[in-house]
Amino acid sequence: MLDLPSAVSLGLTFAITFAVTFAATPVIAKAMRRRGIVGKDVHKLSKPEVPEMCGLAVILGLLIGATTYGFISSSVAREAAAFIGVVLVAGAIGMVDDLHPLGARIKPILTALAGIPILVLGPYVPYAEIPLVGPVRFTAVYPLLIPVAIAVTSNSVNMMDVMNGAMPATVAVISVTMVGLLLWSGDTRTATLASGLLAAMLAFYYFNRFPSKVFDGDTGSLSVGAAVGALAIFGRIEAVTIVALIPHIMNSFYGLASVRGLRERREILQRPTYLLENGQLRASTERGAPVTLARLILAAGPLGERKIVRGMVLLTIVSSLLAVVTYGITVYVK
Amino acid sequence: MKSIIALAAIEVFVWVALLGVTYVIAKGAFAINLGTTTLTERIATQAARVSASAVLVLVWLFAWKRVADYYLSRMLSRQQSTA
Repeated sequence: MLDLPSAVSLGLTFAITFAVTFAATPVIAKAMRRRGIVGKDVHKLSKPEVPEMCGLAVILGLLIGATTYGFISSSVAREAAAFIGVVLVAGAIGMVDDLHPLGARIKPILTALAGIPILVLGPYVPYAEIPLVGPVRFTAVYPLLIPVAIAVTSNSVNMMDVMNGAMPATVAVISVTMVGLLLWSGDTRTATLASGLLAAMLAFYYFNRFPSKVFDGDTGSLSVGAAVGALAIFGRIEAVTIVALIPHIMNSFYGLASVRGLRERREILQRPTYLLENGQLRASTERGAPVTLARLILAAGPLGERKIVRGMVLLTIVSSLLAVVTYGITVYVK
Repeated sequence: MKSIIALAAIEVFVWVALLGVTYVIAKGAFAINLGTTTLTERIATQAARVSASAVLVLVWLFAWKRVADYYLSRMLSRQQSTA
């Protein structure tokens, strides 16, 4: 049960992260536009230029929120420091990628480095809770799996960041689920850090929703994905998080499988979707086109961007409900 | 909305298959024992367990991809025939 000091810490972390992200986003957007760091919104007929790399506001919000929590509750300093480390390393890799695009093969390797702060500071238990089986000891293998897990979550969230509001909206749903499950398990520390992620996503969604005024860039999506992975490890909800991330994994796995491995966007000639003259999007009918979640949603017929994102959010709600059931199975069926 | 229901059904299939594969790995693959007395036996046991688990995960991923491919090709051909 959530006691009063824990509730205050959770509320404060949420409020501070939300306020910082909300206040910083327009300031960073203005600075990016001034420096010419903009991207074309390719799913609009007018192809407007939108400030890129505004995910820096999310990183700033998470940094200040987690630092505040670390100061309020000194016993959580190790988790907070590891969380900040993961977000900063992934964010730095994202910044490099935004300014000088990295190769498709090097990016997952570099994002695995974001797992190093967890390995160094050690806020993990090498026992994974496996549904229907119970806790399984992975003492030797677990540390090796941490960088892989961070690379998978950060790149999966990154690959879902293709339409206005899709990344913050879907990750907000996953964050709510994580906060709820972590409170259920009694892990108020990780729940508080997860509430910070939720706050950052809600604040950023306000600016990133259709029609987007800001883009988070790889700076934002890689750091947010890494944060999800770190929270899953701290809170020992690895299997549950995999289930909640099914739409993201679906999107990245289908995409990679259909183009036969890791390839840069410019190496792939066919597009998964095409913009119609009425502003709607339709799925590509070409055989070699990447199979993405957007293409699967559009397979039934053309839709507007807002409706596609709504579909992605609905699928994330379904996967989050399945994650809750998975947690119930993990706890009660052994 | 129709496509979301179909994709949600694929999600449920993937989830059930994930639970099933996890259970089979834990109870089946991890139960493989080729001996633990000598170093060679221990390495052989670990290698057999990892190989069996990898095969099961590949089967799961393959089944997942086949279902999605079937859905996509069916919906696209239906869309083309009505156009």
